[in-house]
Amino acid sequence: MKRQTSVLTSTSLVTALVASVILTGLGGAALTASADDGNDRTRATNVIYLLGDGMGRTHVTAARERYYGAAGKLAMETLPAQGFVSTYAVEKLSGQPGAADFKPNPVTDSASAATAWSSGVKTYNAALGVDAKGAVVPTMMELAKKAGYRTGNVSTAEITDATPAGQMSHALARGCQGPVYSDAACQDLSITGAALPTSDVRVTPIADQIARNGTADVILGGGLSRFDAADETALKGQGYSVLGSIAGQSTATKADLASASGAKVFGLFNKGNLTVEKTKQDNPSSVQAQEPTLSEMASKAIDLLQKGKSNGNKDDRSGKGGKGFYLQIEGALIDKRSHANDAAQTLGEMKAFDDAVAVVKDFAKRDGNTLVIVTADHECAGFNIIEKGTFTNAEAGTPPANVDSGNTANNSTPTRPSNSKDAARSTGIVNGAGAADPKNFGPATFRTPTDAAGVVDGSPDAGLWLTYLSGNHTGADVPVFATGPGSEQLQGTVDNTALFGIVGRALRVV
Amino acid sequence: MKTRTGIAAALSVVALCAVVGVTVYAAAAGANGDARTVAAMEGPVTPFTPQATFAGLSPATGDPELESLVQVHPSPGAIVAAAGPFDDRFVLEDLAFDGGSVSGAVRVTSDVSDVLDLEVLAGFYDAKGVLVGNARFVHHLVEDATHAEPPEERLEFTIAVPADVSGRAVAASIGVPVLVNE
Repeated sequence: MKRQTSVLTSTSLVTALVASVILTGLGGAALTASADDGNDRTRATNVIYLLGDGMGRTHVTAARERYYGAAGKLAMETLPAQGFVSTYAVEKLSGQPGAADFKPNPVTDSASAATAWSSGVKTYNAALGVDAKGAVVPTMMELAKKAGYRTGNVSTAEITDATPAGQMSHALARGCQGPVYSDAACQDLSITGAALPTSDVRVTPIADQIARNGTADVILGGGLSRFDAADETALKGQGYSVLGSIAGQSTATKADLASASGAKVFGLFNKGNLTVEKTKQDNPSSVQAQEPTLSEMASKAIDLLQKGKSNGNKDDRSGKGGKGFYLQIEGALIDKRSHANDAAQTLGEMKAFDDAVAVVKDFAKRDGNTLVIVTADHECAGFNIIEKGTFTNAEAGTPPANVDSGNTANNSTPTRPSNSKDAARSTGIVNGAGAADPKNFGPATFRTPTDAAGVVDGSPDAGLWLTYLSGNHTGADVPVFATGPGSEQLQGTVDNTALFGIVGRALRVV
Repeated sequence: MKTRTGIAAALSVVALCAVVGVTVYAAAAGANGDARTVAAMEGPVTPFTPQATFAGLSPATGDPELESLVQVHPSPGAIVAAAGPFDDRFVLEDLAFDGGSVSGAVRVTSDVSDVLDLEVLAGFYDAKGVLVGNARFVHHLVEDATHAEPPEERLEFTIAVPADVSGRAVAASIGVPVLVNE
């Protein structure tokens, strides 16, 4: 046994070298340049990381044209540093990039992507806070908390969902959300070989972890059904002010949020995901309309984290009575409504997310030393803008076909003998005349600020024509917008794992 | 074996020297099933191990149950719903019980891009409405690179009466203790 241990240890250390090189490579040369003087220009007092789940480049463009016109700009587009982020995942048991056993997967899910920026490692789809071989990796929020920063996690999804959970939990499978453990949802024998004991953190329901690890001081979002009375006891035992009632499964309201105070606040405003903004706007007297907007949650989280930041922390380098804070804010429903190919709700969620960006931008401007990063985990559904009056291949009577079997990758003969719509598959605009036909592949159209008076959504005269490629994630790079100390590192294209190093260096925790 | 171990140890020392001051990547790997921790960090901070145990939290000891199963007392031939944490997220459809199994479908009514996990728990009752046994249907989506199927909103299930209560079960209840959809 002793000899086995020795060999294992040696193997681990060799692995450590490889992994270290990989991790160093992920962040580029700057990873070796960590400084602890606290005075260089990449050091931020606060970091606010905003994530539009499923938000591709076209989501941004479409929202801009819809709400501000072609010549306008979303708030995120006014941030000075802009670039792109590559998002690929890896297969189960893969090594990190550069390793002999590296096996990339071009299309990520939200869990793998969250682990990439939260922990700086590539992992498999469904994994949270573990690498592709199942090893636990610390998250940025854990590191920030350990270093004395105040921490917050805000989402319009269930707070146990992949993006927020990526900062506050470690799980082999993202479905292990709670309130109860189940073998099928929590174990992954393809990673561990045999079932882990249920006391292992990696198979502990995410809600149980969040309620007990104290990683985030301020937790706002949805998912009340994931938590139970024991979780409420655990939260209150750590000093959290719990809005609403977990034991009674009574959701918190925007009024509860407005009056919330204290260093640690836990508020869930829906038993599941929060309600899409368009539905709330269309039903202003509904219970769901009492849920706060993402902007309201973002604003309150900043306020709570600001007020609580002199929370006994002696290692204060901010000069403002505390060490600062690290806050993650997710607009989750962009993705969920993109999966559904609901363009109107997708755009509404983009606007709600961008409104939260505007709140954060204003704070950062006042504060003067906050790094703000706005990005996405992946693109969802192949969202696209097509020319007014045109149609997609899915609507075509004769979709492109490969007619050159000798040159399958690059046809050299015409593949589109005619270019007309198929009347059966394109019965009109999906949010207009064609809405009654479930088989319709037509685009959704929306008026823009420069359209003539009287032009309405769903009209062929509307200026913005939108289509979806699919109902699933794509592997496209996603946009990133940033401002504040260290944001210049986001000019150009970076991998999503590099975000870990950029945030970590700004906070001086890596 | 001794020599190989020595070489491995020497490589390990080299490895450690190479990473000091740049990155600490400490891996305490064990056999499958052992807890492993990797601390991936750079710079001057001390290595950090995430919290792995939670005071006062009792590890799960079995499959997820529903207290409501013992609180309902269906009449012979009846199928009733047993309360669970996600009852506002689905509807039960086409329920049927023939004495040998209970079948039906769960149609998820909240956001659906994927149903990641679903467990349907069936309670079986004797003629007096007393719970005599239970069984379950388990759905777990295996994540992979491609999603060949469209989003699944309706999952059909058939749950057989356990053999040890066969013949005694004359009524059923249906509840959902596990549901993860996005």
